[in-house]
Amino acid sequence: MVAALSAGLVACTSDADPEEGPSTAAVIPEGDLADKSGVLTPSNPTTLTTWITTASQAPAADNKITKLLKDQLGVTLEYEIVTPDNVDQKIGVMLAGGQYPDLIGTTDLKMRLLEGGALLRLDDMLATGDYPNLATHVEDDIKKMSYSGEEVEHGLYIFPNYNRFYGEPTGGTYYGPAFWIQKRVLEDAGWPDLSNMTLERYFELIENYLEKNPQTEGAPTIGFEVLASTGREWGMTNPPALLAGSPNNGGVIVDDSDNAEIYADKDIAKDFYKVLNQKYADGLVDRESFTLTFDQYVAKLATGAVLGMHDQGWDFQTATDSLRSAGKDEYTYVPLMPVYDGAEPWYADRPVMNTNQGFGISTSSKQPEKALKFLDLMLSEPWQKVLSWGVEGEDYQVGEDGMFTRTDEQRANSRDLTWRASNRLEALLDVLPKHNGQFSDGNAYSPDDQPTEFFATLSEYDRKVMDAYGKKTWLEFMNPQPENPKYYPAWNITLSDDANQVNQQLTDANVQNLPKIIAGNPADFDSNWQAYVDTIKKIDVKVYEDAINAGIQERLANW
Amino acid sequence: MTDAPVNLVTATGLEPADEPASSSRAPRRKPRTRAAKPPKEPKRKITWDRIKAQRVLLLMAVPLLMYQILFKYVPVYGWAIAFQDYKPGRGSIWNQEWVGFENFVDLFTGVNGERFRRVVVNTLGQSILTLVVGTVGAIVLALLLNEVKNLPFKRIMQNITYMPHFLSWVIVASLASVALSLPSSGGFINQGLMNLGLVDEPILFLTEPNHFWGIVAGTSLWKELGWNTILYLAAITAIDPSLYEAAEVDGAGRWRKMWNITLPGIRPTIVVLLIINSGWILSTNFELPYFLGNGLISETAETIDVFVLRYGYQLGNYSLAVVAGIFKTVVAIILVGSANMAAKRLNQETLV
Repeated sequence: MVAALSAGLVACTSDADPEEGPSTAAVIPEGDLADKSGVLTPSNPTTLTTWITTASQAPAADNKITKLLKDQLGVTLEYEIVTPDNVDQKIGVMLAGGQYPDLIGTTDLKMRLLEGGALLRLDDMLATGDYPNLATHVEDDIKKMSYSGEEVEHGLYIFPNYNRFYGEPTGGTYYGPAFWIQKRVLEDAGWPDLSNMTLERYFELIENYLEKNPQTEGAPTIGFEVLASTGREWGMTNPPALLAGSPNNGGVIVDDSDNAEIYADKDIAKDFYKVLNQKYADGLVDRESFTLTFDQYVAKLATGAVLGMHDQGWDFQTATDSLRSAGKDEYTYVPLMPVYDGAEPWYADRPVMNTNQGFGISTSSKQPEKALKFLDLMLSEPWQKVLSWGVEGEDYQVGEDGMFTRTDEQRANSRDLTWRASNRLEALLDVLPKHNGQFSDGNAYSPDDQPTEFFATLSEYDRKVMDAYGKKTWLEFMNPQPENPKYYPAWNITLSDDANQVNQQLTDANVQNLPKIIAGNPADFDSNWQAYVDTIKKIDVKVYEDAINAGIQERLANW
Repeated sequence: MTDAPVNLVTATGLEPADEPASSSRAPRRKPRTRAAKPPKEPKRKITWDRIKAQRVLLLMAVPLLMYQILFKYVPVYGWAIAFQDYKPGRGSIWNQEWVGFENFVDLFTGVNGERFRRVVVNTLGQSILTLVVGTVGAIVLALLLNEVKNLPFKRIMQNITYMPHFLSWVIVASLASVALSLPSSGGFINQGLMNLGLVDEPILFLTEPNHFWGIVAGTSLWKELGWNTILYLAAITAIDPSLYEAAEVDGAGRWRKMWNITLPGIRPTIVVLLIINSGWILSTNFELPYFLGNGLISETAETIDVFVLRYGYQLGNYSLAVVAGIFKTVVAIILVGSANMAAKRLNQETLV
């Protein structure tokens, strides 16, 4: 017995390369997915607690990749998933308690977790050289990724989850802001020309269709939906800037001399809400718009009854997914970009890194090295492929030219929400740092970005839409993306407490007054608008504008 | 008759101010003095003998005392945050920058002053309306149920009415928002009103500031009606049946008996419950305003707790949140105190 045991031990130790780190009795599995340094191995199981802000669902209990993580790395993840709507309370509670999970995946634009001392500074840990993938990831953009606020020491605290590009950016789907319109509306109008779009023509298309089709599958058809739910009120407030040909800078427009100014009370805003007010009176705008929570809004889109809305593509992704998995492609949306006379559309921008979202390691974690090692491994090419494409042979094939392809069944699977819950770690991947762009073998980071795959995933109906417009991707429906200004985007500049407070007051003024203006009697438009402008005058807007301008100047100087 | 309120107080989780009711189990008890308490008793001295004699009782009180101290008094040190420019990142609460009363002045007069005064009015309005509607509803239902002689029917009614109490507010709020929506989204209230011919056009209840207090009171009534009734029903069972018999002999009908026996019989319960609840007036009503409120109606919907969440926790301004908390506590003490005093003046049962 003793002999057998010691023989086993000897076998183990001799298997592992003694040079490679602390390998006392660590069995390292074969293959690319294993951790060669022996920190994370199945023989030394690790449980990592993970807190994630995402709209994605938690993985199913029998999830394939969960099992793979356990088999290859011995890692078990314990998820706590919080939807963006509920995140504020949760952050407050966590900060008050001072106890955090090992890994924090946050989209907290106000950086409360960081300023509250929840996040570990990562630069020093990276400097040890134990985390090569993460080190490469941040190499070029570490200044951008680093926190440069006032409350805590400057430095790298989280790894941004999107748009750190490797190779060439590729892609077929458009996730940015747009005025969306259902494909059936365009079909009914005989695939009208979409260039030089204006608000008038956009609403005309919707109006004509609505007149002919007051019912959608038994429910009343809704012309235009306005998203005003708390935390997503930008659905209602951002359009004026886009209509005026300015890229999405949040609440401000930045002029050519890099000076930021709010536009909420300016004429470009007034013109938009006047149109919306008229359309509301005409019965085009959903009367329930302003009482909808985000969930109710997505549910409404998922019924297919809504002809159009302004939103960011990623925001209603779940509705698109469920329409597609139900085979109702005519109810999904095409992005349009109406502008005011004389303005050039700048809806699509070069994908920018959103530096205050992503994964960090918590200060109360007992195993920060393991947690960081886990992030490092997840960022390795083999794991990135598993996370975004799936398992080779099961979810995709490698062609003779080395390019990844999928069969129709595999494509259908990847659209199926239930299948994805068991075969993808979407909640984790959402906040995880990614290899956006291309892998070293030339494949795109995700199937959706692989040009051949993208076109092949399109349903027959979607191909008809593409053919009608002579395009290959949804991205081609948008404007060509000019080079981003150096400071861009202004909406993720970290603000001081005072500026945050003013920003919140502005948001509140919008959320309170804009619905009244839109839903009000058109005859009262001017007085309602005046009341709104007066409310804004009472707010110390300058504090906010100054903070944004200071942020812009700092970025111009340092980035 | 005095039994009911005493039991009640224990049942609601507040310990009675005087010794526990189980005092009869104390060894070598002195002659019973409590029942024969004269109206103005001279202050009794606490002697070692007395403490020794009641040591078991005192021991029994220790856990509860500890609980109160740990969960009610210890956290009060956190009030220090109100006088600081608190930042969680600085570590300990004593390691912060002190700013005196600046946060108080800020809350009541600063950029948010007007708004804070409005949310106080909203909180008071919603709570008082909820309290009045809830209490009246519960008493009426208790009286009605008490008259039902068909036992199975009575039990079914009671069960149906108190079930919603166990639903969480999140569920109740989403039920309410569906019920109040347009008929096309499942709004059966609008559907009903239209079928009855009371309105021509569906009403968007959640966009009308004037309706919101009513919606809060109505929803709370639906949720808590049966639950609140239980206490009154219990109090009614404690009423001496001979009173009814005597009244019947004197020729009193149903209504007479209700008015002259049942209602006065549960009066102490009503008063004690009102006093207790008056302390909660500023603390209730977070969920409904939070889940049902939206921009259009926020001028009547926003309550103190929602405001604190928005401008305190969401912005990481914890000092502001604590200031509002202190304000609520002070107001609650004043309210309970004055309700108690008013009850004393009116020669009613009181809490203390």
